[in-house]
Amino acid sequence: MASTSKDGVPDGDKVAGNLGDDLEPGACSDSILNPEDTFEEFASELTPNLQERNILTAKSSTISEIQSEIGECSQLHGTKSSDNLQSKDESISASTSSSNLLEQNGDEADDKDDYLRSPELVNKEKHVFILSSAGKPIYSRYGNEDKLAGLCGVIQALVSVVEEQNQDILRSISTKDCKVVFLMKGPLILVAVSKSNESETQLVMQLTYAFNQIVSVLTLTQLNRIFEQRRNYDLRRLLSGAERLIDHLLIFMEKDPAFLLGAVRCLPLPEKSRENITNAITSTCNKIRDLVFAILIAGNQLITLVRMKKYTLHPSDIHLLFNLVRSSESFKTAESWTPICLPKFDATGFLHGHVSYISEDCQACLLLLTVQRDAFFPLSQAKHTIADKLRRSNCLVAINDALNRNKELPTTNPLKHIGIPEIRHFMYKCKSTAQLFTSDPICLDKLQDYRLRHKEGGDITEKKITKLSDIEHVRKYRKFCSQIHCTSTPAKLIFRSNSDDTILAWITNGFELYVTFDALMEKDQAIRAIDRLLHWIKREEERIFIMNAPTF
Amino acid sequence: MIDVNNKVNSFFIFNSTFGPREGEELKRILFFHPNQVSVDAQKMQVGLCEAVVKFMTTFSNEPCEALQTQSKRYIFYQPEKNFWMVLVVRIPYAAKTPSTPGESKEVIETSVIYNLLVSAYKMFRMFVGPFKDIPPEDIYTKCEQFFTPYIMSRNIANDLSNIIQGINYLPLEKNSFFRVVCFIDLLEITYPDFKCVSFVYNEQLIWNGLATNDMLTLYQYLVQTLLPKQVEKEIQGGAVTAAVRHGRFISPPEGIRTSEDLKNLPKVYLMREDDTEMKQYYLIIYRTLSATVCFTIDVNNTLDLDTFKSLDAFIGPKLSTIASSISEQCALHALQNAQISSSEHKFLYFNRLNLACKTSTPASLTPSTAVKPEVLSIIAGIHADRKSLGNYGEIIIKTPDEYWITGKSSNDREFYVIIQEKNANLKDIADEVKRVCEEQMKGIFFYPI
Repeated sequence: MASTSKDGVPDGDKVAGNLGDDLEPGACSDSILNPEDTFEEFASELTPNLQERNILTAKSSTISEIQSEIGECSQLHGTKSSDNLQSKDESISASTSSSNLLEQNGDEADDKDDYLRSPELVNKEKHVFILSSAGKPIYSRYGNEDKLAGLCGVIQALVSVVEEQNQDILRSISTKDCKVVFLMKGPLILVAVSKSNESETQLVMQLTYAFNQIVSVLTLTQLNRIFEQRRNYDLRRLLSGAERLIDHLLIFMEKDPAFLLGAVRCLPLPEKSRENITNAITSTCNKIRDLVFAILIAGNQLITLVRMKKYTLHPSDIHLLFNLVRSSESFKTAESWTPICLPKFDATGFLHGHVSYISEDCQACLLLLTVQRDAFFPLSQAKHTIADKLRRSNCLVAINDALNRNKELPTTNPLKHIGIPEIRHFMYKCKSTAQLFTSDPICLDKLQDYRLRHKEGGDITEKKITKLSDIEHVRKYRKFCSQIHCTSTPAKLIFRSNSDDTILAWITNGFELYVTFDALMEKDQAIRAIDRLLHWIKREEERIFIMNAPTF
Repeated sequence: MIDVNNKVNSFFIFNSTFGPREGEELKRILFFHPNQVSVDAQKMQVGLCEAVVKFMTTFSNEPCEALQTQSKRYIFYQPEKNFWMVLVVRIPYAAKTPSTPGESKEVIETSVIYNLLVSAYKMFRMFVGPFKDIPPEDIYTKCEQFFTPYIMSRNIANDLSNIIQGINYLPLEKNSFFRVVCFIDLLEITYPDFKCVSFVYNEQLIWNGLATNDMLTLYQYLVQTLLPKQVEKEIQGGAVTAAVRHGRFISPPEGIRTSEDLKNLPKVYLMREDDTEMKQYYLIIYRTLSATVCFTIDVNNTLDLDTFKSLDAFIGPKLSTIASSISEQCALHALQNAQISSSEHKFLYFNRLNLACKTSTPASLTPSTAVKPEVLSIIAGIHADRKSLGNYGEIIIKTPDEYWITGKSSNDREFYVIIQEKNANLKDIADEVKRVCEEQMKGIFFYPI
């Protein structure tokens, strides 16, 4: 656990200089999350060899490793996870010459254009299309993908022409107001058409998430096998229900900076309460030997995560779990037993999850993930024990207070509590634990609002925003974030001031910080404000972040 | 930033309406560089670009600007309807910063390449005319004659002045400036058919009579193409010193001695200050000492050798006097400048309205005058994203290797300063920038200060 002493605190002048690395609120040597830098990863995502491009080889299966460790491998033939996935996925051999590419583009232009210009599709801020590498539509964010067969044909043709004739990989096309980003992953082609201010890397990240969402439902093994057997397979048959997950995920990604930063939001809780919750889980579950993860979440925030020794979860897998829980109303009514594939943890196989809300009067959801296929009853039993313990130790009240943003909590309105009026908004990521804290701990209603608003349209609007909501702040940070993480010309610090606001983005070895101040802010004033902000986060770190990494 | 020989994969111009039917693809290609590329490969490249352009019309009303593949970036520019110019540069996607220092990094801003295409087209339009006015049977040879030498001569070094295309003005004290204006007025009254469109001393502009857009193109032609050749000639040919003193016509290159020479006068398409549309003119360029003056005369006028002879007699002595007085002033100015300690930081000033551009003197004593490509790239990025600073604003960016780049904007003016400083903080940098700004840009107001 990191110490809370203030020995390493730099004086105000050093902040925003090149010192300041010594103050790292939330830093913790032992992390429940795998803090591996997601940005690096997406950059490398972007630079594979042409030959490797169609071959998604998964690392050796973590799930089978766990199973063999437990020594019960023999009982588990049922799980496909141990199937050896080899680079069987043959490269696509659609033959399209450039001349018939243009024709195809032209011939279908009329009906295709008609549909793309229909009110369902026109003027959207961001389209996402997923198709098979044979050009069969699988998913479209708006409209009916059946009617988009023409468009998908053109996309497939473009991709394969670049690949075959130029021995190259299509990445993106852009106009002044629109970016089209392509991601070829295994047997799928994913395309984002965006008129937002997201960078290419950010869009690639979102497409990767969408791909992972599909993998999470099918496993990579199954996905590859399907298309090996039938290149022309209509994947929608297997994905019914997953469309909704992808819909929700896309909205979630636009709204929550957790994706932008590759970090997980934690529910701010008093240190003692979190400790009690964790103890309740460990004491109940330490006898259940196949349990890999026990995760308690609420409102897209992590409350605690207890794990099997040696294994950690990647933030992106947790995001998929958040999305699953948020998108599935059925979990609220009954205990569920569901297969879940966590692509970063092990893309080749399913974990089995017992998912249930902790009680009627508390919106926290407990996920117990195991490698055992038939562990529903022991896990159900464990859940009830945990729920009882939490109720008895008053933890449910603490969780509800945090969720309902009880006014007395310092984290409910951090800006007011810190008392720096010139700061309008901030977000902070602790790099070593991949956790994030923002000045507006999201409340459920807001997300719901955004979702409703989004359902109506997702249209581009030019409406003048009077008071910036957190979503608009996040929008503004996108450009800063992409410049900070730019692979060719990265920045360590950006201070930008104009007549609307002043934004400071700062990355050190320990953290990333984005702050919005009033317009035309003076530099020394900003430096002082940031210094106070960092000290406040340091003081509250035990509440804001999960500072330990409990195991069973 | 762009090494044309190594980095440019190809450069081509196409118009899909030129060969609408299958089998006529080659007709669509107006120009292709390098021309040793096989016809099939040319068709393939153009075919891909046609498809991409068409694909993007489904989603956007704006013309296609860029296509990025794993190994190349294609930059598109559509100067006239259906005419597309495409420059293909070898830039790997998401190139990682090499860890070893000293390795050259491949950072090229799209906006810089786009500007290169725009300049190429404008130059073409000035000297050859708009694409649509050229008969289709001539267009292939005209493009070949113009673009091959043009693209081969481009060489963009790592210099501040290449990010932002501006004009270097020569500041003069008012009497000297007045003398220049009087000279131009007197000339235009004496020879009403002639109109003076620019007055350049060394490589700095003193007077302009063109619309802003054309002014930049003509200035670039003078400074990048014509004058360097001319200066070289003057240095080599000691015998022409007398002529250098007295002045002579330098365009056409052989001067104007016979009525045959008049036929070689280049024609250009220009918009003069008070023109409402582009017109064709003869371009006449006269040079004495370091002063270069450009005139235009409507193509409908009949040219007469005697007029040119008398023009020569009129301009020669007058221009020579003016040029010497400017030269004295420049010397004085240089002396004064030397006393102000030249800033050790690099800076760049640009005014979008008159395209005035000023950079820190490259001849300063700093060991390396070249700026790192990443830094240039960041400045190009700030310049291209004008919206984020708005009418007045400021941005300070620190790179991992301790460069601090400051950009300020105030209405249409921009000011950039590059400082390399370890252990500085935001405030130190802001103070330093303020100092540079006050010292170098006296009287120009930037807010926030």
